[in-house]
Amino acid sequence: MAESAASVRVAACGCITPFGDAPASHAALLRGECALRPVGVLGRDGGDAVPLALVPGRSLDETAPPDWLAALRRLHGSIPEGRWGSPGSPVFVTGSNFGVGGLYALRRTGDGAFAAWGALPTCTERLRLDLGWGPDVSIVSHACVSAHLGLILASRVIGAGLADEALVLSFDFLSPFVAGGFHALKILNSDFPAPYRERDSGAIGLGDGAGFAVLSRERGDWTLSGQSLYNEMHHFTSNRADGSGFARCLDPVAGVARGRKVWFKGHGTGTLEAGRLEVGAARRAFPGAPVVGWKGSLGHTLGSCGLVELAIAIESVRTGRTPGTIGGAGSAMSDSVALESFGNREFDGVVCASNAFGGAHAAFLLGHA
Amino acid sequence: MADPLTARLKLLIVETLRLEDVAPADIPDSEPLIGGGLSLDSIDALELVVRLEKEFGIKIASSEEARSALASVAGLAAYIRERADPTRLPS
Repeated sequence: MAESAASVRVAACGCITPFGDAPASHAALLRGECALRPVGVLGRDGGDAVPLALVPGRSLDETAPPDWLAALRRLHGSIPEGRWGSPGSPVFVTGSNFGVGGLYALRRTGDGAFAAWGALPTCTERLRLDLGWGPDVSIVSHACVSAHLGLILASRVIGAGLADEALVLSFDFLSPFVAGGFHALKILNSDFPAPYRERDSGAIGLGDGAGFAVLSRERGDWTLSGQSLYNEMHHFTSNRADGSGFARCLDPVAGVARGRKVWFKGHGTGTLEAGRLEVGAARRAFPGAPVVGWKGSLGHTLGSCGLVELAIAIESVRTGRTPGTIGGAGSAMSDSVALESFGNREFDGVVCASNAFGGAHAAFLLGHA
Repeated sequence: MADPLTARLKLLIVETLRLEDVAPADIPDSEPLIGGGLSLDSIDALELVVRLEKEFGIKIASSEEARSALASVAGLAAYIRERADPTRLPS
């Protein structure tokens, strides 16, 4: 368990999804649009059609250099100027897969050019040079809570007085290797994901995504507080059936949020079991809080989801409207799940949660500074 | 006389999951495979599903369907009989 009680400010935050930047993504979610499309899981080699959401202009197949670099450069162009990568302004690069698809492409094609982007250190070093950062760059990767982990580490660096500001950048772009891996688990199937819906079988979709946040000691309109991490260490793919792992992560956030009226941005991939556990834990920790999940439209952007969805949550608060839970039809697992969009001016905080393989859970409270 | 498909499935379970202390005949027909006496977990279930798909030419689409199919050896045999090409079943 890791907790960071001190709050840190968010000076800037943004994302890229198949819909575009955070305002465009937020607007598309409010319209109820779905970015997921059936795509052959092995790219040019075909395979079963599974729900994927790709950034326009790129294909699922690997390229060298990777074609997702253009999207990442666009996102980087929206980050405020700074001496990023210097000791006073460290960078935390987070993600689940980095360029791992390149290693599969190397095996398939024998082209050594794919190897350079395939491993975390080499991929990050190339990014560092490409984006013009200094050497103070840390890599954080812990599956689908990677972005949360980057945020909490950056907050601690600031809290310890080691930096005034820090950049957390997170990205995950899909490849046949990644999509094929999820498909092997029988959770990426031809059904489209319907987070928190009552139905017979679950499904998740995957999406391209990248996001950033500039965290600051003193600057910014938003605060992150009660940052919480908990790992059940229970099983590779399963959570404890009693939901205690979710509760252990959310309880500290509930303590920080006491007295506030919050809404809950859940993880909500579309798997039935985890969805039920998450909704139940959210309901107990934050009674009356409406629960929303956006992966039925954006797909699961894996290690980047925490930052991608933070950027959309901030956009929701900024505009006063929260997109509802996208995907599927029929009733929700719980009456706390908001299927329609709602005005959020009466709320004074957002709990943002993500979960990951291995029973890893992460959450924090987003509020106004 | 044992049903050939049931016997084949028990052997497949032992082989695929490398159950060193379990003989095929030790596996009851009606005991739950997941969460039962064999202590199989979701990764074991996946391994088994992949083997079953190859052996019998069937497709198990989702993790929920896999869990349902693996309710017991008898249930699994019924599931496969409904979906597999009869020529692929042991006789």
